[in-house]
Amino acid sequence: MSRSECARYSSFATIVALIAGTSHAVADMQRLDEADMADISGQSGITMELEVGMKADRVSYFDDGQGIHLEGFSVSSASDPEAGARHVIKMDVGADASLNLDYLIEDRRVEFSDIRLAGAPGVSMGGVYFDHTLAGILRIAPGGALGGDGYTFDSAYTMTGGRLGYRTNGNEVFLDGIAMDVEALGMTLDVSGDTLLFDAPSITGSYTVDAIRYSNNPLNHGSSADVTSGATLASYGSLEGDFNISSATEIRAGGREGQGLILNNSTTINSANFIYRDDGNALAFRDISGAYELNDLRVDVTQDWQGRDALGLTLGSLSGGLDIGRIELGAVGKSIGSLNVNFLFADQNFNGREYTNAVYLQGGGHADAGPQGLRLATEWSLQRADLSYTDNGNRVIFSGLQSWGQGDTTVNITEAGTIGETEFFDGLRLGFENIEAGYRLNGLKVGSEDAQLQGGTELLLALGVYPAYEFEVDGHITLGAGGASGEGLTINSDIQITNGRAALIAAPYDEGEGEVPQKGLWASDLNYDIHVRAMTVDVTEEGFAIIKGEAWSTMDIGNLRIGDKEAGSSFGRFVVQSYETGSSMEIVPGGAGAACVGGSGSDASACSASGGNWEDRGDEGITIKLKQIFAKAVSETRKNAFIWETNRELTANGKAVNNSGTKLVLNDIYTSDGGDFDGNGIDDNTFGVQTDIAIDVYQTKVVKKKDGPDSLGVIGSRGDEKIMDTSATEGYRYATEPSTTDIENRPLGFAVQARSQFKELAINNVDLVHPTGGAQTAIYGVKLQNFDIKANLSATPIP
Amino acid sequence: MNFRTYSSGVLRLLSVLALSFPGTGFGEMAQLDDGDLASVSGQGGIYLSGDISINELGGPVQNSYFGSCADTSKKCGARLAYRLKEGGGWMVLDEIRGKFSFEGLTLRVRAVDDGFAGDGQLFNRDVLEIGLPNIVRYDSVEFKLAASSTARPTDPGFQQTDIIAVEMQGDVILEGNLLVFPTGNP
Repeated sequence: MSRSECARYSSFATIVALIAGTSHAVADMQRLDEADMADISGQSGITMELEVGMKADRVSYFDDGQGIHLEGFSVSSASDPEAGARHVIKMDVGADASLNLDYLIEDRRVEFSDIRLAGAPGVSMGGVYFDHTLAGILRIAPGGALGGDGYTFDSAYTMTGGRLGYRTNGNEVFLDGIAMDVEALGMTLDVSGDTLLFDAPSITGSYTVDAIRYSNNPLNHGSSADVTSGATLASYGSLEGDFNISSATEIRAGGREGQGLILNNSTTINSANFIYRDDGNALAFRDISGAYELNDLRVDVTQDWQGRDALGLTLGSLSGGLDIGRIELGAVGKSIGSLNVNFLFADQNFNGREYTNAVYLQGGGHADAGPQGLRLATEWSLQRADLSYTDNGNRVIFSGLQSWGQGDTTVNITEAGTIGETEFFDGLRLGFENIEAGYRLNGLKVGSEDAQLQGGTELLLALGVYPAYEFEVDGHITLGAGGASGEGLTINSDIQITNGRAALIAAPYDEGEGEVPQKGLWASDLNYDIHVRAMTVDVTEEGFAIIKGEAWSTMDIGNLRIGDKEAGSSFGRFVVQSYETGSSMEIVPGGAGAACVGGSGSDASACSASGGNWEDRGDEGITIKLKQIFAKAVSETRKNAFIWETNRELTANGKAVNNSGTKLVLNDIYTSDGGDFDGNGIDDNTFGVQTDIAIDVYQTKVVKKKDGPDSLGVIGSRGDEKIMDTSATEGYRYATEPSTTDIENRPLGFAVQARSQFKELAINNVDLVHPTGGAQTAIYGVKLQNFDIKANLSATPIP
Repeated sequence: MNFRTYSSGVLRLLSVLALSFPGTGFGEMAQLDDGDLASVSGQGGIYLSGDISINELGGPVQNSYFGSCADTSKKCGARLAYRLKEGGGWMVLDEIRGKFSFEGLTLRVRAVDDGFAGDGQLFNRDVLEIGLPNIVRYDSVEFKLAASSTARPTDPGFQQTDIIAVEMQGDVILEGNLLVFPTGNP
């Protein structure tokens, strides 16, 4: 072996050992000269046993004179920070001139207590620690994918007792009890021109995480139990998964400005599974596959668009696709269906403004939360995405999703309490500051991507999603550990949306001839305050359960416009106030199953005899069970009310002045069980409005309403059925007497089986308010009692 | 986040809109045929079919007044009571039951800038179009109009006088489009 090869081995061992997590051990190694190597070759090799402890005040990286510091760097024993971690490394050189490392690392902790930017020394991004025991092998052979100048290496390791934590201001969230097996064979490293090429043709592995824990005790540091009380720390749940991926990465020097790094990456997910468990009940994403191309990602120490110091990650483009073969929920693994998404993140002009994709990492988090935290100044531009949902083989595509936005997201681990003007809650706090964002869907397609673009995106309203939405948002969502019982999530949230424009009905923004202003029915000039307290989220034996402790909101639609979202004529102002206590939502896999539509009967023959159609909608689909308990008013902001205001005064620039017009007010709307049955002097309110909605993607019957050609020129008679037919010019035809085969080719739509019940729903008063005459009560109370409404509906998108 | 509140609020709004503007524009305009529709942009929408039943077997309240439809001594329909005078009596729609079926109710936003014998060009506005379903089938739709001394039939001193009883059976023809658009000062 030549001296240069030996030198390459030594330096390369450092790089690879870093990947394997053995950098500190290698730091103690001496480079072997040729004579030493000659003695070793063919021998049993060298065994090194080390006790590694290391501390460094600061590790810095500088880019164009601007620095980022990793402070409080240490390597130690995870269980005793003052002791070192035991390393046992066996090394030999094989007959094929390969270097073989066999390593065991026991109970090691690698930690940075602060990540700080040189230009913002007063704040930090928080600390990160990683505990682990590793046992593995690493084989390094000369010669890469491009020839003799590179390297090939094989790696396999098992990690046990892993713990990965993020800590801010004495509070932490960590993955506890990580176990992982990884095998990566045939990886190559080459240099081509000024580019470092790293190929990993096969990386396979599996992992489990026993719990995701939260602590607000500063004395806890990577401990599964509270060191003060001894109680096991609350958990968000556990994780399990496996993966088989291949990846190719290019790395070059040069940032977006001056120095920095340029990265290109291509990754294929050959297969993967991901399972989240809450007290043993699973939310499982199975049969995952996909691929993505990351192009021109640059890493710089720089400033963001406001001139704030940051570690900047700026992206050329990211494109790819992801398939999730089965989404299972609950104890028995019943499937909702499958999902597919194709996406392209790239620069794009939205609403006359250029958007790009960039994240600028900064220290500090929320200003009141303390000096440690993470601030992500983010801009994004989703040029196009198509999302599809398949239910028992029936596929609906939400086509042409675009999204854009810019603003700050803050991340803190917080403890309940008020600091300054801000109320914090226990948990992982995601804060939103001055985010201006939007998204829009172009339309629906059914069957395949080649199908005709259709309307119908407003069907998403049934799931609480607007087909298009632009807004400014501030606020937070804090994810606490522990659900209604045991593991799970507890959410507290305050969100303020301003200057919103939400589509209730939306036409396409591009019908194939370029972008046009999107027509629709718009909730414009929208201000929306939403507050949630103690909302628990759990995966249960049946599905997914959300229970709201207390939730109140005010949705103030300044103008409900038809046509253009900003210039369309307005129906006036609408205000919807909501106040709920103890409401709940359960999402259960499986839709309506077999259903009798238009008749009654528990089997096909009974259904048919009653004049109905018997439909077997399969075992997939979604059922949503809602219980909305509308509470009596406790204040002007916490009540259920509806206001419609028109005839408002106008400012000089034509803007309507709220509260200057005539109003219809439905005041203090609430549910009740119809009496005081527990004798506490207050009417019981436990039943609320209970609504079950079963949704399936299924063939629906669409009938022509008039004789002659339709909007696309396809001719049929009134009463003819629309039948999908790929051989027809427009992809469908009309059939007067559809055959059995025709019926199997009815258009796809959403089949909805719904039932809504309430014992009592009351409106305290209905007022008419005149701007000068004041409020006059028109109706002194309304009571609706004993309602049970059932519906079998099919909603089909139409061109 | 309260996603359900979004949608329930929206649905309430849509219901109010549909009911609030039945005369606006509808009376002025002739029905469009499919050929007219072909010439307008901003197409796309949804086509709804199905059936809706109210208290088919009874409601959720079980007490001295309400019960299952199998129990002839109890009322099994829904009840709506309101009063127009403070401290006054209550107008009641009682024993509300029945089933409605329809096929082909459509919903979309469209621009009207053509057709209607030239009026469309002058009109030149966007409208919410509710395409009526040709036939709505009423199956044993019934209710009673009554006057009551109390809002709840279980309240002390309850007395009620039925004024009329209504029962509807058969098909109602609803053809054409209902066009909804704002007028006046918002």
